[in-house]
Amino acid sequence: MRVLSRAELGAWLDALAVEKALLAPTEVESVVLYRPVQSSAEIAPLQGNASRPVLSIKEAFFPPTERLLLIGKTTGPGNGTGGQFRLRETLPEGEQIVFGVRPCDARGMRALDALFLHTQPADPYYARRRENTTLIGLACAEMGPSCFCKSVGGGPDDPADVDLMLTETDKGYVVQTVTEKGRTLLAGLELREIEGEMPRSALNEPVPIPDMLAWPPHFQDAFWEQSSERCLSCRICAYVCPTCRCFAVRDEALPSSQGEECYERIRCWDSCAGDAYRRIAGGHNPRPEKGQRLRNRYFCKFYYYPQQYGPVACTGCGRCIEACPVNIDITEILAHLVTG
Amino acid sequence: MTDTTHENPMLPYLGRLVGVSDLATEIKLFRVELLEGGSQAFAGSQPGQFAFLSAFGRGEAPFGIASTARRGQPQNGGGRVLDFAVNRLGSVTTGLHELGEGDEVGVRGPMGTPFPMEAFKGKNLIVLGGGIGGAPLRPVIHTVLDNRADYGRLTVLWAARHPSLLVFTEEYDGWRDSPDTTLYLTVDEPDATWDHHVGLITDLLERVAPSPENAVTITCGPPIMIHFVAKMLERLGFAPEQSYVTLEARMHCGIGKCGRCNLGEKLVCVDGPVFSMAEVGGLLESFL
Repeated sequence: MRVLSRAELGAWLDALAVEKALLAPTEVESVVLYRPVQSSAEIAPLQGNASRPVLSIKEAFFPPTERLLLIGKTTGPGNGTGGQFRLRETLPEGEQIVFGVRPCDARGMRALDALFLHTQPADPYYARRRENTTLIGLACAEMGPSCFCKSVGGGPDDPADVDLMLTETDKGYVVQTVTEKGRTLLAGLELREIEGEMPRSALNEPVPIPDMLAWPPHFQDAFWEQSSERCLSCRICAYVCPTCRCFAVRDEALPSSQGEECYERIRCWDSCAGDAYRRIAGGHNPRPEKGQRLRNRYFCKFYYYPQQYGPVACTGCGRCIEACPVNIDITEILAHLVTG
Repeated sequence: MTDTTHENPMLPYLGRLVGVSDLATEIKLFRVELLEGGSQAFAGSQPGQFAFLSAFGRGEAPFGIASTARRGQPQNGGGRVLDFAVNRLGSVTTGLHELGEGDEVGVRGPMGTPFPMEAFKGKNLIVLGGGIGGAPLRPVIHTVLDNRADYGRLTVLWAARHPSLLVFTEEYDGWRDSPDTTLYLTVDEPDATWDHHVGLITDLLERVAPSPENAVTITCGPPIMIHFVAKMLERLGFAPEQSYVTLEARMHCGIGKCGRCNLGEKLVCVDGPVFSMAEVGGLLESFL
């Protein structure tokens, strides 16, 4: 095994932070988030599930609000008609490194890549960020109380979806090179070769996951309306989720000079749990009931998304369980489909 | 800006309004000249496809393309012209209705799975349009009229709640004049001068009772109309595979990314908006 001491790790990250943007778990008003840090000193203590950021790394590739275009117009002569609009796409620039990526968050990229990259047309905003980002993973010593990553094909020490994987041991951080991109990032770094066995993470009880074919027979169950009764349509489950990707697109006015108009077209996170999500002008809404919306959320993750794009849209991170203000629990939903 | 088509599917082409006219109450027809790469991008636009129109500053929304690429061929060095019917209902459509000739809009597309016009060749077509639902059906009718020998009998059932809500009225005589083409009109509520059928389009359909032999049907209108027309067609002996519809859904991207327009495991923007009733019937989710 090749290892880095904590001090060596810190020094290496400090050096990387000079050339590229470094995002790492850090405390922001007593909440741990993956955020840009200027030095490794700002990184939050890495042990335990309590130190896992409350939002996934999705933000680094698909920000909560993202400018797509700038729209500008110089008003024409007279009554304002005839002026010329100019449109400018605003693609993201700059390389970034995300450090301390939990395997559940990295696995979320699989679902997002399948949609944004591998299904035509590729999304140029997401593609740029993805190409320009290196992921340094961190294995979880144990699964958290709401975690079920192992039950959906992942695992707390799964290196599959990062470029480099770090595992903490009492002899330092074991470094696994997963991709060429990861190998490039290690260039010039001296790792110590030591004897020893790779530690494995402590696991939770597995959560039963229904087969794809189990879903359609349950589409009309009263269970959906019953389970959704306490839902507030607050949409936080989608925001904390590493794989949820629904977005809204809007034009917003920007300050401009006399005789000019200036707007930005942005996209921002949205969720099918929201009441107005499918309501069209004129008022028609095919999902007016919360039960229909709750049903769509879970069918999408486990039945529609895999058919459309390949991966199941859930990495078992359990954040939706922790975040939901009314304790709607995805594992209880799944249990209904397994036993029902 | 150049004449090349955009790689970024979220970047609109600029379009100039070369015609704005009243089509019906609160419904305007916009003739949009596509500028720069837009003219090229829409060269292959097919009946049943749609585009996003931007009222810059208000936003963008999807609209069925209400004309054929062929009838909008660029002339005198200008760009391709496409028609869109817009019902003023919300903020984007109000923004569009505030524009006049010479004003610019944004256009993204063409998007969606079109009607299988090739597969329709040699068959009798029954076209059912309700209200502004007639707009995406207009390029189907124009394609048949412009290639008359390729298609069988054309039967058009055109409906609206009231005569003032019928669309493309100035074209009806032209449709009737085409060989082997019949037009039936109906309104729910007549006015003083109305002398055609009065009643729902399903009543009219039952009276006309077109033969399902070697025929396909194409329906567009409010969801409830599509639902009841489908039921009537079944009663008249049409198989779900013979009945095509074009559906509507709230959309934000139109290219299968934003996730909003799913109907079960299908996306209305990419797998549709054109579906056969066999496909629709096989979905878990209802479009109603």
